[in-house]
Amino acid sequence: MIEQVIAQKAKGNVVIANSVRTKMYLKGIAVDKYTAVSPDDPAVMQKVREIAKEFGVVV
Amino acid sequence: MAIKTLSIKGTDSRDVARQAREALADFQPKLILFFASSDYAGPEAALREAFPDSEIIGSSSHSEYCDAAYTSGSVSIMAMDAGSVEDVYVQVVENIGAEPDLRGVLDGMHDHFGGVDQVLADYDRYVGVVLFESSAKAEEVFMDRLGTVTDLLFVGGSSSAAEGGQSLVYANGRSYTGAAVLAILKTVNGYGVLKTQSAHIFSECKLTVTKSDLRNRILYEFDHRPCGEVYAEVLGIGQDEIQNYFVCNPLGVVAGDEIFVRTFNQIQNGGITLHCGLPEGTEINVLKIGNIVDDTRKALDEAIPYQPAGVINFNCLYRTLEILNENQVEPYCALFGRYPSIGFSTNGEAFLGHINETSTILVIK
Repeated sequence: MIEQVIAQKAKGNVVIANSVRTKMYLKGIAVDKYTAVSPDDPAVMQKVREIAKEFGVVV
Repeated sequence: MAIKTLSIKGTDSRDVARQAREALADFQPKLILFFASSDYAGPEAALREAFPDSEIIGSSSHSEYCDAAYTSGSVSIMAMDAGSVEDVYVQVVENIGAEPDLRGVLDGMHDHFGGVDQVLADYDRYVGVVLFESSAKAEEVFMDRLGTVTDLLFVGGSSSAAEGGQSLVYANGRSYTGAAVLAILKTVNGYGVLKTQSAHIFSECKLTVTKSDLRNRILYEFDHRPCGEVYAEVLGIGQDEIQNYFVCNPLGVVAGDEIFVRTFNQIQNGGITLHCGLPEGTEINVLKIGNIVDDTRKALDEAIPYQPAGVINFNCLYRTLEILNENQVEPYCALFGRYPSIGFSTNGEAFLGHINETSTILVIK
């Protein structure tokens, strides 16, 4: 889900992808801590959904 | 020459502006960026009168940098003509403590350059400068909102003042408190951005912020335990000693290879106040401060392997005080003397977020 937000927001621009990644860290999401096989954490998922909404992307 | 830098001391702001006009007699600045010691009253109006055809933005300062010089009681000026900045658009957002909606502001700024798609299509040429008046203490929320409504990179810092002086930011002939000045520059040859914090990871132990007051910048708990207790444990010191370590061992949000420093202020109301709020859920490391001159040299040499048109250094006041204490002003300034450069001692730095104890640097190619 996190990678979807980054990819949709960056639209292929590597600089923007890196900055979105950093912005998510600063919002309290430790991006690299989570992988596709990480167990679902409802609180983190809700936070990522809120960030996606702020960014105007759909996940 | 597309960029000129000046360091001026005058009897008053009008004298400073007169000297600047003389020094730039054959130069037509598109944009003037200045950092004026708070000793000067009304520098924005005097410069506006001297340069009526230029966009002018600036900040009050505790101390200033220009090329290889460190000064106090002066005005550092960077004048950029159409050879380096094709176009610039300035907006002021007032009352930033009220968390204003920035979408309309940024939409308007993008539209000035043909709309957001046009800006993103030429992304390598557009960069933002942000100057905060520091008394609002709302930079972290503002930068978060700014980063939500634009993909452009904004670099900058928060105003400072000499002892007894007033902290202000300036735009086009007016001064502001509790405000942010935003400028989007369309550069001719592109730009670079770097930040260097001379802070390194002290402990690999990740601490999660589980209780904090972001807006009031108070930290209460790491991993559901009192933050002071955990901080002391990581450093291997007694809880009664932690204040002695606040400057040398700040906190950092580690995002990949980048560290975003958060410095302590004081113990208060069962928590510790910071100079930048931390949202709950954030993972942090305890840091240790390194050698500012060595780390800055390394960062500049890696990031600027060419002769830039100009370099703007937003250098934390803590760092200025540290290099003064360590008698390192000359070698530090020599690093920036290699380029046309200006800077000032900031009360907070901006790049993607609000940062402490860092230098954020905008390079105009």
